[in-house]
Amino acid sequence: MLVLTRKPGEGIVIGDNITIKIIELKSGSIRIGIDAPRDTKIYREEIYDRIRQENIDASASWNMADLDTLIDKLTDRTLKK
Amino acid sequence: MKTIQTRFGEVTYDPSNVLHFPEGLIGLDQLKNFIVMPSKKKGPLFWIQCVDDPDFAFVVTDPTNFFLDYLVLPDDNERQKLGIDAQDDCFVLAIVSISEDKEITLNLSGPVLYAPASNRAMQVILEDSRYDTRTPLPKVG
Repeated sequence: MLVLTRKPGEGIVIGDNITIKIIELKSGSIRIGIDAPRDTKIYREEIYDRIRQENIDASASWNMADLDTLIDKLTDRTLKK
Repeated sequence: MKTIQTRFGEVTYDPSNVLHFPEGLIGLDQLKNFIVMPSKKKGPLFWIQCVDDPDFAFVVTDPTNFFLDYLVLPDDNERQKLGIDAQDDCFVLAIVSISEDKEITLNLSGPVLYAPASNRAMQVILEDSRYDTRTPLPKVG
Protein backbone atom coordinates (compact mmCIF):
# COMPACT_ATOMS: atom_id res chain seq x y z
CA MET A 1 0.00 0.00 0.00
CA LEU A 2 1.22 3.46 -0.86
CA VAL A 3 1.41 5.58 2.28
CA LEU A 4 1.54 9.38 2.07
CA THR A 5 1.58 12.04 4.78
CA ARG A 6 -0.83 14.94 4.24
CA LYS A 7 -1.93 17.98 6.27
CA PRO A 8 -5.43 19.45 6.49
CA GLY A 9 -6.12 21.37 3.28
CA GLU A 10 -3.79 19.16 1.26
CA GLY A 11 -5.00 16.54 -1.14
CA ILE A 12 -4.26 13.53 -3.27
CA VAL A 13 -5.08 13.12 -6.94
CA ILE A 14 -5.85 9.59 -8.18
CA GLY A 15 -5.85 9.18 -11.93
CA ASP A 16 -7.24 12.06 -13.94
CA ASN A 17 -10.54 12.60 -12.23
CA ILE A 18 -10.48 11.67 -8.56
CA THR A 19 -9.29 14.10 -5.90
CA ILE A 20 -9.25 13.40 -2.19
CA LYS A 21 -8.83 16.31 0.22
CA ILE A 22 -8.05 16.20 3.91
CA ILE A 23 -10.59 18.63 5.42
CA GLU A 24 -9.82 18.55 9.13
CA LEU A 25 -8.68 16.47 12.07
CA LYS A 26 -11.08 16.43 14.96
CA SER A 27 -11.08 14.30 18.10
CA GLY A 28 -9.35 11.31 16.60
CA SER A 29 -11.25 11.38 13.29
CA ILE A 30 -10.22 12.72 9.91
CA ARG A 31 -12.78 14.36 7.64
CA ILE A 32 -12.02 13.88 4.00
CA GLY A 33 -13.63 15.25 0.87
CA ILE A 34 -13.77 13.29 -2.35
CA ASP A 35 -14.28 14.64 -5.84
CA ALA A 36 -14.98 11.85 -8.30
CA PRO A 37 -17.13 11.22 -11.37
CA ARG A 38 -20.76 10.57 -10.48
CA ASP A 39 -20.64 6.94 -11.52
CA THR A 40 -17.68 6.15 -9.23
CA LYS A 41 -18.88 3.97 -6.39
CA ILE A 42 -17.64 5.22 -3.03
CA TYR A 43 -18.44 3.34 0.18
CA ARG A 44 -17.27 3.31 3.76
CA GLU A 45 -15.08 0.23 3.81
CA GLU A 46 -16.73 -1.55 6.74
CA ILE A 47 -20.18 -1.17 5.14
CA TYR A 48 -18.96 -2.44 1.78
CA ASP A 49 -17.29 -5.39 3.54
CA ARG A 50 -20.46 -6.18 5.50
CA ILE A 51 -22.62 -6.26 2.36
CA ARG A 52 -20.07 -8.37 0.53
CA GLN A 53 -19.89 -10.89 3.38
CA GLU A 54 -23.68 -10.96 3.70
CA ASN A 55 -23.96 -11.74 -0.03
CA ILE A 56 -21.58 -14.68 0.41
CA ASP A 57 -23.35 -15.92 3.55
CA ALA A 58 -26.84 -15.48 2.07
CA SER A 59 -25.96 -17.58 -0.95
CA ALA A 60 -24.61 -20.37 1.25
CA SER A 61 -27.41 -20.17 3.84
CA TRP A 62 -30.20 -22.11 2.13
CA ASN A 63 -31.26 -25.25 0.36
CA MET A 64 -34.29 -26.18 -1.67
CA ALA A 65 -36.14 -27.81 1.25
CA ASP A 66 -35.79 -24.58 3.29
CA LEU A 67 -37.23 -22.60 0.43
CA ASP A 68 -40.33 -24.76 0.11
CA THR A 69 -40.94 -24.75 3.86
CA LEU A 70 -40.49 -21.00 4.15
CA ILE A 71 -42.73 -20.19 1.21
CA ASP A 72 -45.54 -22.03 2.98
CA LYS A 73 -44.79 -20.37 6.29
CA LEU A 74 -44.49 -16.85 4.92
CA THR A 75 -47.38 -16.71 2.51
CA ASP A 76 -49.71 -15.91 5.43
CA ARG A 77 -47.42 -13.15 6.59
CA THR A 78 -47.29 -11.05 3.47
CA LEU A 79 -49.01 -7.70 3.65
CA LYS A 80 -49.95 -7.64 -0.01
CA LYS A 81 -51.87 -10.49 -1.52
CA MET B 1 -30.00 -22.93 -24.71
CA LYS B 2 -27.12 -23.30 -22.26
CA THR B 3 -26.61 -25.69 -19.40
CA ILE B 4 -24.76 -25.20 -16.11
CA GLN B 5 -24.14 -27.45 -13.14
CA THR B 6 -25.33 -25.95 -9.88
CA ARG B 7 -25.56 -27.28 -6.33
CA PHE B 8 -29.21 -27.95 -7.10
CA GLY B 9 -28.41 -29.99 -10.17
CA GLU B 10 -28.28 -29.23 -13.85
CA VAL B 11 -29.98 -26.03 -15.00
CA THR B 12 -30.79 -25.26 -18.62
CA TYR B 13 -31.54 -21.68 -19.56
CA ASP B 14 -32.04 -19.36 -22.47
CA PRO B 15 -29.13 -16.83 -22.48
CA SER B 16 -31.43 -14.14 -23.87
CA ASN B 17 -33.51 -14.36 -20.68
CA VAL B 18 -30.81 -13.66 -18.14
CA LEU B 19 -31.22 -10.95 -15.55
CA HIS B 20 -28.15 -8.76 -15.99
CA PHE B 21 -26.34 -6.93 -13.19
CA PRO B 22 -23.99 -4.62 -15.17
CA GLU B 23 -21.79 -4.12 -12.09
CA GLY B 24 -22.25 -7.49 -10.47
CA LEU B 25 -23.13 -7.69 -6.80
CA ILE B 26 -21.38 -5.54 -4.23
CA GLY B 27 -17.99 -7.03 -3.50
CA LEU B 28 -18.70 -9.84 -5.97
CA ASP B 29 -18.49 -8.00 -9.27
CA GLN B 30 -17.95 -11.24 -11.20
CA LEU B 31 -21.59 -12.20 -10.52
CA LYS B 32 -23.26 -10.36 -13.40
CA ASN B 33 -25.79 -12.73 -14.96
CA PHE B 34 -28.59 -14.60 -13.24
CA ILE B 35 -31.53 -16.75 -14.16
CA VAL B 36 -34.78 -16.20 -12.33
CA MET B 37 -35.78 -19.70 -11.28
CA PRO B 38 -39.36 -20.85 -11.10
CA SER B 39 -40.28 -21.96 -7.59
CA LYS B 40 -42.22 -25.15 -7.17
CA LYS B 41 -44.57 -23.29 -4.89
CA LYS B 42 -46.23 -19.94 -5.32
CA GLY B 43 -45.38 -17.49 -2.58
CA PRO B 44 -43.34 -14.49 -1.52
CA LEU B 45 -39.90 -16.05 -2.04
CA PHE B 46 -38.17 -16.91 -5.28
CA TRP B 47 -34.59 -17.62 -6.19
CA ILE B 48 -32.03 -16.50 -8.70
CA GLN B 49 -29.17 -18.66 -9.92
CA CYS B 50 -25.90 -17.07 -11.03
CA VAL B 51 -24.63 -18.37 -14.36
CA ASP B 52 -21.15 -16.80 -14.13
CA ASP B 53 -20.35 -18.75 -10.96
CA PRO B 54 -22.87 -21.56 -10.43
CA ASP B 55 -21.93 -21.79 -6.74
CA PHE B 56 -23.93 -18.64 -6.12
CA ALA B 57 -27.72 -18.66 -5.84
CA PHE B 58 -29.85 -16.27 -3.83
CA VAL B 59 -33.31 -16.36 -2.34
CA VAL B 60 -34.96 -12.99 -2.94
CA THR B 61 -38.24 -11.37 -2.00
CA ASP B 62 -40.19 -8.18 -2.46
CA PRO B 63 -39.41 -6.53 0.90
CA THR B 64 -42.55 -4.39 0.72
CA ASN B 65 -44.44 -7.64 1.35
CA PHE B 66 -43.16 -7.34 4.91
CA PHE B 67 -42.10 -3.70 5.30
CA LEU B 68 -44.77 -1.48 3.76
CA ASP B 69 -42.82 1.76 4.09
CA TYR B 70 -39.57 0.43 2.64
CA LEU B 71 -38.92 2.49 -0.45
CA VAL B 72 -35.78 2.58 -2.57
CA LEU B 73 -35.75 4.67 -5.73
CA PRO B 74 -32.94 4.82 -8.26
CA ASP B 75 -31.18 8.13 -8.81
CA ASP B 76 -30.32 9.41 -12.31
CA ASN B 77 -27.00 7.64 -12.30
CA GLU B 78 -28.55 4.33 -11.23
CA ARG B 79 -31.31 4.64 -13.84
CA GLN B 80 -28.63 5.11 -16.46
CA LYS B 81 -26.87 1.93 -15.34
CA LEU B 82 -30.20 0.12 -15.36
CA GLY B 83 -30.92 1.42 -18.85
CA ILE B 84 -34.28 2.96 -17.97
CA ASP B 85 -35.95 6.38 -18.00
CA ALA B 86 -37.64 8.15 -15.12
CA GLN B 87 -41.09 6.90 -16.18
CA ASP B 88 -40.01 3.22 -16.33
CA ASP B 89 -40.83 0.89 -13.48
CA CYS B 90 -38.11 0.02 -10.99
CA PHE B 91 -38.80 -2.48 -8.23
CA VAL B 92 -36.84 -3.23 -5.11
CA LEU B 93 -35.87 -6.75 -4.06
CA ALA B 94 -34.14 -7.94 -0.91
CA ILE B 95 -31.69 -10.81 -0.64
CA VAL B 96 -32.82 -13.31 1.97
CA SER B 97 -30.67 -15.20 4.49
CA ILE B 98 -31.95 -18.30 6.18
CA SER B 99 -30.61 -18.96 9.66
CA GLU B 100 -29.89 -22.37 11.14
CA ASP B 101 -33.19 -22.24 13.03
CA LYS B 102 -34.93 -21.56 9.70
CA GLU B 103 -35.84 -17.96 10.34
CA ILE B 104 -35.32 -15.50 7.55
CA THR B 105 -33.67 -12.10 7.56
CA LEU B 106 -33.69 -9.58 4.74
CA ASN B 107 -30.69 -7.57 3.65
CA LEU B 108 -32.37 -4.17 3.72
CA SER B 109 -29.09 -2.24 3.73
CA GLY B 110 -28.00 -3.78 0.42
CA PRO B 111 -31.19 -4.02 -1.65
CA VAL B 112 -31.40 -4.84 -5.33
CA LEU B 113 -33.05 -2.48 -7.81
CA TYR B 114 -34.75 -4.31 -10.65
CA ALA B 115 -35.84 -2.75 -13.93
CA PRO B 116 -38.17 -5.06 -15.88
CA ALA B 117 -37.99 -2.92 -19.04
CA SER B 118 -34.28 -3.63 -19.49
CA ASN B 119 -34.15 -6.84 -17.43
CA ARG B 120 -31.25 -5.30 -15.52
CA ALA B 121 -30.61 -5.05 -11.84
CA MET B 122 -28.10 -3.57 -9.45
CA GLN B 123 -27.34 -3.87 -5.78
CA VAL B 124 -27.12 -0.59 -3.91
CA ILE B 125 -26.05 0.35 -0.39
CA LEU B 126 -28.37 2.32 1.89
CA GLU B 127 -26.53 4.06 4.69
CA ASP B 128 -29.62 4.17 6.88
CA SER B 129 -29.17 2.93 10.43
CA ARG B 130 -32.76 1.59 10.53
CA TYR B 131 -31.81 -1.10 8.04
CA ASP B 132 -29.44 -3.95 8.60
CA THR B 133 -27.92 -6.62 6.37
CA ARG B 134 -29.87 -9.08 8.54
CA THR B 135 -33.17 -7.39 9.28
CA PRO B 136 -35.61 -9.86 10.87
CA LEU B 137 -39.23 -9.82 9.80
CA PRO B 138 -41.40 -7.52 11.91
CA LYS B 139 -42.92 -9.26 14.90
CA VAL B 140 -46.45 -10.41 14.37
CA GLY B 141 -48.68 -8.39 16.68
